[in-house]
Amino acid sequence: MKQALLAKVLLKILVIDDHESVLGGTVDVLRKHYSSAEFITAINAKDALHQVTNSQPDLVVMDLSIPEHIGMRARPDTGVQLLKILMKNYPSLNIVVQSVHIRTLVRIRPNIDSHKGGFTVVDKSLSTQEMLTRTDWALQGLTHTKDIKSIHSGLEVKPEWLMVLTLAFEEGLQDKAIAEKMCISERMIRHYWNKLQDTLNVYPGEGKNIRIQTEMRARAEGLID
Amino acid sequence: MRIGALPGIAIIGLVIIARLTGSMQSLEWLVFDNFLRLRPQEPIDKRIVIVGINEDDIRSRKDQPIDSPISDHDLAKLLMKLHTYSPAVIGLDIYRDLPVNPGNTELLSAFSKIHNLIAIEKVLPDQVAPPSALPPEQIGFADQLTDIDGKLRRSLLATPTDKGYKLSLSLRLASAYLALRGISLENGIHNHTAMQFGNTELPQFLPDSGAYVGADAGGYQILINFRSGGERFKTLSWSDIKGGDFDPKSIKSKIVIIGMTAPSRKDFITTSAVTTFKPATGRVYGVEIQAHVISQIISAVLDSRPLLNTWDKQWEYLWIVSWGFLGILIARLTQSPLLNLVATSLAVCILVVTTYLLLIWGWWVPLIPAILVLSVNGIALTSVYQYNQALKLGLQARQVVIERTFETIHNGPLQSLAKVLKLFRGEDLPINKLLPELEKELEKLNHELRGIYEFLQQEPPSQDWSLYLGKNLVINLQYPLHEILYQVYSHTLERDFPYFRTIKVKICTFEPIEDKSLGIENKRGICRFLEEALCNVGKHATGVTCLQVTCSAAQGWQTLTIVDNGLGTNSSREGRGTQQSKYLAQEIQGKFRRISLAPRGTLCELSWPMASF
Repeated sequence: MKQALLAKVLLKILVIDDHESVLGGTVDVLRKHYSSAEFITAINAKDALHQVTNSQPDLVVMDLSIPEHIGMRARPDTGVQLLKILMKNYPSLNIVVQSVHIRTLVRIRPNIDSHKGGFTVVDKSLSTQEMLTRTDWALQGLTHTKDIKSIHSGLEVKPEWLMVLTLAFEEGLQDKAIAEKMCISERMIRHYWNKLQDTLNVYPGEGKNIRIQTEMRARAEGLID
Repeated sequence: MRIGALPGIAIIGLVIIARLTGSMQSLEWLVFDNFLRLRPQEPIDKRIVIVGINEDDIRSRKDQPIDSPISDHDLAKLLMKLHTYSPAVIGLDIYRDLPVNPGNTELLSAFSKIHNLIAIEKVLPDQVAPPSALPPEQIGFADQLTDIDGKLRRSLLATPTDKGYKLSLSLRLASAYLALRGISLENGIHNHTAMQFGNTELPQFLPDSGAYVGADAGGYQILINFRSGGERFKTLSWSDIKGGDFDPKSIKSKIVIIGMTAPSRKDFITTSAVTTFKPATGRVYGVEIQAHVISQIISAVLDSRPLLNTWDKQWEYLWIVSWGFLGILIARLTQSPLLNLVATSLAVCILVVTTYLLLIWGWWVPLIPAILVLSVNGIALTSVYQYNQALKLGLQARQVVIERTFETIHNGPLQSLAKVLKLFRGEDLPINKLLPELEKELEKLNHELRGIYEFLQQEPPSQDWSLYLGKNLVINLQYPLHEILYQVYSHTLERDFPYFRTIKVKICTFEPIEDKSLGIENKRGICRFLEEALCNVGKHATGVTCLQVTCSAAQGWQTLTIVDNGLGTNSSREGRGTQQSKYLAQEIQGKFRRISLAPRGTLCELSWPMASF
């Protein structure tokens, strides 16, 4: 799968960060990994929106603490607002949030839950390798938000996700049949699986069968009997 | 507005009472006189010539004492001389009830020769008889009526006496002059007691005309519309006549009035309505007053110059009340004192200019009472309203602070306190374990209470968009409601309540909410509702494993539902939280319910109509 992605000729990546040095560092790391990709950069929210509109990138790697436009102070809130706009206008855009303020994202959790593109969160203290893995996941359309999960106990799910679980593992239906039954697209069902897997902490790994892992975890958590 | 208009109406009432009792008479006279004097100057009325016997004339007489009256001989010569220039009519404004020799026979012969001569008498006490040689048609009275401030504003044209109905000199002269033009004095067409020349009715002065209150309106009186400007009549002296020092045309076919214009003879009257310097400022010779009244009548008839009219009482008071209400309106509509001052001043200016113009056109309308009600209501009442408004806002703000403080305390420290009490009453723990636990909880409570104080100090309540959730987490209530609600949900579940720990699954939906119709306080209330409902789950839902929080819209209603599957307590007591929720539901025209589910669980729901429905 990685090969397939790397082979993509015109992979466009937008990197947003207000510190030139950090920006350069991130681009360097990513360039080594995605050698054929085209890199675009932005240093503030206004600039970023402009770039997204013009270049239609496949992936956005962004810092949360950025200024609104040149000359303004960098605030995590600005990044959150930008993120909201991006998720609203480009529902299938793949996003990686790289920040020291990732807890701020808790408040737009519902927006993230309904975002259809990939969405992963990288704390700036994480290793480069981990960062690259999550970037890959985002490009695959996966969700990884474990780090911003509420610290309270219990799983947080949406009613429609539970419905998918029930139809899949209790009635043994395939995605296509589930989609028909729920009157939504198959794509949407895949999106729900993504979110469910993220909730159940099931992430891709060597030799893992994602579906079966999901079922096991769901039963263990009591989401299905 | 209900309380608002009352003081204004009271002011209008007071002013009207003051006017009815006559307290405003002198002020209104002052304005009347000044407005008359400030009118643009009118041309000299050439139809009237005054022959004034002045100090020089008196002193140039030979062989006669200075203080002696003008002799019959001198008067006869003057009359005969004037007669030769054939004036329309001659008025003799000098008393001649007794012969002043030498020359009485000459005067009598002049009287018999000159038929267009009118002499004077005085009919009101103390009376002075007319010259006995003249028939009654050639006699007019010279009485003048002054107001209680000693000033002349009206003219007595006719009056009943014990010797019959008498006419004034001015009316006699005017009617003689008009008769030559075929216009005669008649009774009014509309009002049979009124005097009328041709189509011009002389508006009769009544006891309550204009600003007057209970004036003596006996006989037939009119308000004097003085000819505006100084010395509006051609005045010749006795010596001018004797020396022939004048243009004969200026007398031919004119009204000639002979009178005293010598200060030593003291034939003058006080008025502020005309500009005068002779005999003194504010004083006019009697003969000149006669000229003003004659000119007023003949100008009205021949030139359509306005006579002075007044409105009926009901129109005057409607006028005053209207300006009063305009004042109230200004007070209500203007927010800033400056704007108020500007608006009121502008209205006063319009009022003054209007009344002035109306007076020029012959209508005397009340100014002083209208200015009073307008400015008092416009300016003074504004401060009353503003004070009232500030008081109301202050009370409202205070109430909001009280409510919010209590809500914050209720959903924060009080919940912790309840937990402490539960620990205490539960007696599950041995005392040596209970004490450190209690200390921990009380320490937390201490922090929570201090946090509230700091929060309340930070934010002025008037422009408060923040929601305090404890642990220094402050949420901006201007964000979309579903986002705020998610934060409240997320934060509340992080709180340390015993039954939150047993929750395994949380099914939650926070759909975007149309919140434009909700005020900041409503949003705050809805957040508090969610917080409280979740706290209840944490405190009372024994054995809860699944919590469902749904925020969604359907059929025009927004619904926020919190369902748990714990064994809730069935308390019949209506707690503070329930009261708050009911009040909130009322505020947003919504519904609130909290019900127990079978076999176990509790549903707590708040719903409200969406704006577009």
